[in-house]
Amino acid sequence: MNGTNLLDIRDLRVSPRGMTETAILRGVTFSVAPGETLAVVGESGCGKSMASLAVMGLLPPGLERRSGDILFRGEPLPVDDNTAMRKVRGRRIGMVFQEPMAALNPVYTIGHQVAEVILEHEDISAAEARLRVVELLREVGLPSPDRIIDEYPHRLSGGQRQRVVIAMALACKPDLLIADEPTTALDVTVQAQIMRLLKRAQNELGIAIILITHNLGLVAQMADRVVVMYAGHKVEEASVQTLFASPQHPYTQGLLRATPRPGRRRAGGKPLEEIPGMVPAITDPPSGCRFRPRCPRATRECETVHPAVRQVGDTIVACHHPGRLEAVQ
Amino acid sequence: MSYLGKRLVHVVLTVLGIAIINFFLLQLAPGDAADVLAGEAGTADPEYLANLRREFGLDQPMLHQLWAFLQRLFMFDFGYSYRHNMPVSTLIFERIPATLILVGSSIAMALVFGILLGVVAARTAGRLPDKLISLASLLFYATPPFWIGLMMIVVFSVKLGWTPTGGMSDIISNKTGLAYVLDVMRHLALPAITQAVFYLAIYTRLVRAGMLEVLSLEYIRVARAKGISENRIAYHHALRNAIFPLITVAGTNLGAFLGGAVLTETVFSWPGVGRLMFDAMFQRDLNLLLSILVLSSIFVVLVNLAVDLLYALINPTVELR
Repeated sequence: MNGTNLLDIRDLRVSPRGMTETAILRGVTFSVAPGETLAVVGESGCGKSMASLAVMGLLPPGLERRSGDILFRGEPLPVDDNTAMRKVRGRRIGMVFQEPMAALNPVYTIGHQVAEVILEHEDISAAEARLRVVELLREVGLPSPDRIIDEYPHRLSGGQRQRVVIAMALACKPDLLIADEPTTALDVTVQAQIMRLLKRAQNELGIAIILITHNLGLVAQMADRVVVMYAGHKVEEASVQTLFASPQHPYTQGLLRATPRPGRRRAGGKPLEEIPGMVPAITDPPSGCRFRPRCPRATRECETVHPAVRQVGDTIVACHHPGRLEAVQ
Repeated sequence: MSYLGKRLVHVVLTVLGIAIINFFLLQLAPGDAADVLAGEAGTADPEYLANLRREFGLDQPMLHQLWAFLQRLFMFDFGYSYRHNMPVSTLIFERIPATLILVGSSIAMALVFGILLGVVAARTAGRLPDKLISLASLLFYATPPFWIGLMMIVVFSVKLGWTPTGGMSDIISNKTGLAYVLDVMRHLALPAITQAVFYLAIYTRLVRAGMLEVLSLEYIRVARAKGISENRIAYHHALRNAIFPLITVAGTNLGAFLGGAVLTETVFSWPGVGRLMFDAMFQRDLNLLLSILVLSSIFVVLVNLAVDLLYALINPTVELR
């Protein structure tokens, strides 16, 4: 299946430099097929953003990839070679970040910043680039693009700025778009517009999207497949239908129960459940299964043996006691 | 334009305030020009002193003197230096080019090298180049400039003989054209460096801190995700934003540069306004002294206004109101 995948991440391990014991990512494996949307979900600090930054070769200073391969179209990505990665970033892989208010340089115009990525990767004149930028701004749904192109970022709203960031990410028609919580900082109505924009761009350009989020509502609308991460591990992977219909990992089940869903009101109008406890500190992970201290199903085995990833039905899951939600209740 | 008008009214009021305060401050100093002249002439004849004072207008009541001074100030008439037997304006304008060359080149040096070193330090934060730059800037920051000046004279002029010990040009040889320019530059090197190092150290630290802050911001990560080179990210994306605090501080430092010129010009016998002011103080040449103070305050206030306008020009998020 490698031949057909756009992106393969195999057993990726990321640690703080010089600290062999602690790890941010503890052997994460997943792949993205061309044109599909893969959602990566999990609580804050589970490592989902780090996985995407590792793909871009943009891990924050002090973190390093300890082992594992990242293949793009079957070829290893030179993630440790900044010069080589520059040809991938913005051209083959675009990225949209969480904070549109902070994502644009305040001293340059919108047009300058979008044109910059085109001029960096393509051999065209500034005048041609400007025409392309106007077209891009129109495509991402900004009003009067030939005027807004000369505006500075502080004149734009958060939603407009996120559209500009998306225009930058799509400017060179990449194969893959990594969207790291693209709507978390936006109003709900704007969220829906932005997600529709991403979906439309995906259909028109045939790009694959990695959607990093903790919003399961978005996942249900957008994703083809879902990877659930917890404390630097992939704990479950399944198609979006399978995951929502029969989540196997108790963490996934907890996430789903903690999500409000209209139309499926819980009996007796009970308040939403939360997952007890907190994500463990990376410096002091629990023994055995990382989720054990918060898991209702934990046994002696979970304390000593870290669960290996295995196939259960259509789902890949890392749990000693996988099973349907109803089985526990 | 109304912004500029408002600011110009401020300029006038500020300068007026500075002139009045300085006038009274100088009255507080014991002794006057007549005392100094009489002392140098070796006589203390009361008749002679009274004559001198009447001639200089020093026998008038203080408020009369102030009023006369302000009236002349508004006509840009700076009066007469009885000490030098010359109009004050001639004295000052003769000396201004030398001071402008000294202050201008030291500010330029402090800015250019401060920015370069600050950027390098920030980009190598925690590694050897950063540690060396930070150590050096701490050292220069903590060393008194006059001592640096004297030590540079000892090393470069006395021991190595590379540069002259003082003055602005060779007195004996009558150089012209390029030879004269090179001669002035040779004389300029030590005083300009002496005056620059302290501010160079401050600016390096300021730019380093600013760059570190900006480099951690989201839009820098976005630029990296666009495939932009690290050099372009540092100089095009980060520095443009990190430089704003430097412009503010450098603008307010201008007065300090003029004050520093008094010291540097004295150590290196540089024939500038600072030296003139220093001498005027000891000679109780109050006309000259006051005029220099007022002129330099006008200069500083105007440059600060220019810096504010420049700031609005290069920072699109600032709007002048």
